[in-house]
Amino acid sequence: MPSITEVSKSLADHGQTLKEWSTAVVRPLARAADEQHAPPANWKDIVASCPVPLSSQSEEKAPYNDGYWVGRGVEYENIAYGDVWLQPLLGGGLGCVVVDSMGTEAQVERWGTKSVARNGWMSSFALTEPGFGSDTSRVSTTATQDGDSWVLKGNKIYCSAGADSDYVTVFATLDKNLGPTGITAFVVPIDTPGLIIAKANEDKLGLRSWVTSELLFDDCRVPLDHRLGSDSNGTLHERRSGRSGALGALSFNRPSMSAFAIGVAQAALDTTTELLLESRTGFAPHRWRTIEDEIATMNVSLERGRRTVYRAQRLVDAGNPDNAAAATAKAYAPRTCERLVRRCMQLLGPDGASTELLLEKWYRDLKIFDIFEGSGEIQRIVVGRKLMGRLVS
Amino acid sequence: MTIETTEELAAVAELAREIGTEILAPAARQAEADCAVPELAWKTLLETGLIVPLSEENGGGGIPDARTQVVALEHLAYGDAGITVAAFWSGAAALLLSRHGRNEQVQMAIALSNNPVARGAVALYEGYGRAPSEFTTSISTTAEGTLRVLGRKVGVAFGSIAEPLIVIGVAEDTHTLQAVLVPTDHPGVTVDHAATNLGLNASSTVTLNIDVTVPASNLVGTGENALSTRLETTVSRIRLALAAVQIGAAQRAIDYAANYAVDRVAFGRPIASFQGVSFPLAEAQMRIDQARLEIADVADALDSDETTNCENAIGWAVNHASEVAAEASRTGVQTLGGHGFITDHPSEMWYRVTAALSTLDFDPIKSTFQPAV
Repeated sequence: MPSITEVSKSLADHGQTLKEWSTAVVRPLARAADEQHAPPANWKDIVASCPVPLSSQSEEKAPYNDGYWVGRGVEYENIAYGDVWLQPLLGGGLGCVVVDSMGTEAQVERWGTKSVARNGWMSSFALTEPGFGSDTSRVSTTATQDGDSWVLKGNKIYCSAGADSDYVTVFATLDKNLGPTGITAFVVPIDTPGLIIAKANEDKLGLRSWVTSELLFDDCRVPLDHRLGSDSNGTLHERRSGRSGALGALSFNRPSMSAFAIGVAQAALDTTTELLLESRTGFAPHRWRTIEDEIATMNVSLERGRRTVYRAQRLVDAGNPDNAAAATAKAYAPRTCERLVRRCMQLLGPDGASTELLLEKWYRDLKIFDIFEGSGEIQRIVVGRKLMGRLVS
Repeated sequence: MTIETTEELAAVAELAREIGTEILAPAARQAEADCAVPELAWKTLLETGLIVPLSEENGGGGIPDARTQVVALEHLAYGDAGITVAAFWSGAAALLLSRHGRNEQVQMAIALSNNPVARGAVALYEGYGRAPSEFTTSISTTAEGTLRVLGRKVGVAFGSIAEPLIVIGVAEDTHTLQAVLVPTDHPGVTVDHAATNLGLNASSTVTLNIDVTVPASNLVGTGENALSTRLETTVSRIRLALAAVQIGAAQRAIDYAANYAVDRVAFGRPIASFQGVSFPLAEAQMRIDQARLEIADVADALDSDETTNCENAIGWAVNHASEVAAEASRTGVQTLGGHGFITDHPSEMWYRVTAALSTLDFDPIKSTFQPAV
């Protein structure tokens, strides 16, 4: 019987090659990226040195037949095994994913994932505002039609890649009284007058080299066809409502976030295991036995997380995506990964938390994975609603 | 929920909380950035007499008992754990010298308590889950009558700059704990892992490799067995301090998050009204409360019998408090969501410092890795 949680040998080999490359090439640049709050300037050369085609970078046929989203999960994990700094530079950002799901054919052709890849662009996603995060019905950035333009006004925070992007996909409300149904999305090129980069990058606990921007829209004017789902006459060809479109686009990405966290935690665990073996004689025998058991438990925990990721992604690849499966995959692993990296530092003692190793960085980096793209709490609501319906809040 | 059972303890708690929130908390970011405690904060801590204790006959305010000290440390750490441990660890050298030193050694403690730029250090932890009775740092008497100190110590605050540096080791002949003064500039003291750290930058913690021979007069106290037993009690007190600091940081982390949860509105109401938000905070509060009781009990045991060292109980209390604190500060960040991940809020700092502290006196058989789900 075909397994829902295992990957083919060709995909496993693909992942292994990526893992070795990322460990050798990406990881040595991790500390500097963290300290400088920016990726290395030559990151494009780094990407070009990858020995196998990346699904996000290449139109070449993938060297496996497991499906796009499962492949993506494996790629995410194995690239993250080297370090996390590279990831946001691959794949063109989240803005284009929303275009793919909400745009007209012409918009998808102009700004969609493939166009972004072809042009070497980066797209950003602007939904969160100072007043809300998880409760996306509270969008207060406004969009007002004025003749043949839309005028945007509001403040967006935590926009991944914002300041470094070529365009931003912005969520705004046409009428606050309409609640969630009044929310729609607009493509705003980064050089549009009225789009102000209020803060290029937040000062963060982790993922410091990932650009997280605050953007102001101060009477920012875009043509009618920059509203997703709309043509240049303002006629709507919407395929989904604004907000559910955005969240739908996010849900495919959610299991990949866990894949990522698993890659980081596995890197921490393997690094720690190697260091512990080198210093094994320092441990009393009864402690060493406990440590061996713990290392085994930690590896098994990560394997459990992987199963939830592969299952969710297989369902997407099979054309049968399941929000609850995606939520399970997103919520299951990250918290365990945090604990695991903390445990690794503890097993190594205070030297394990020093900046001479990457464990302390990975501990900081990992915390966001249970928060962004739908927090663990929100994922539990998704799963709870599948069980008990809308009563769950 | 208070455990200060006397008026004196309540007064100590109140004073420490006030200094913590008004002096230490505002200095926290600067201390991290500078890898040093700002002078005003250090001076204020010295003046309390709680951090660098000195007996009354030496002009101090008396050496507080263990219970008083853990109460003080918890409430100072409520303001900032990083500064509190930095000052405490420096003061731990004075505590050891005040309680066990000969007259000329007590003078060093007096100097530490008078001079805000002086730093002391106690090289205590060894890693590998070792409790003091398992330490492998050895102290032996050479044929010439000098002392040879040989070992490796981790997480030594101010270990490369302190004067005095006190190394805790095991006497090769009597197998009892001893403390020896070692000059940090001795060529036999080498420093590695002097890098910055996840959350303890204000303490300048280092790893020390020690292979030195020093005069016999560097032994703290007389080195007789009876004294060594009491030395173990003092070492236990130094270890227990870590648990108190962890609980202070944890309490602050969840108080901050609880306030945020009351103010932050989502889905039409304050997020505190969702059990998914309030229950983890309540759970953290219950665990903090329980850990606080455990710490108070161990402190009372240390105070009630000068010959006990409660080594096992301290190992449990410290490891448990660390886990409670790391998870509580995690809940703190999680409650704030994305806001918890940026440095505009202090939650991320508590997340780092509790994890960093948890690596110091860790024993894998006194705490268990548990997958989150």
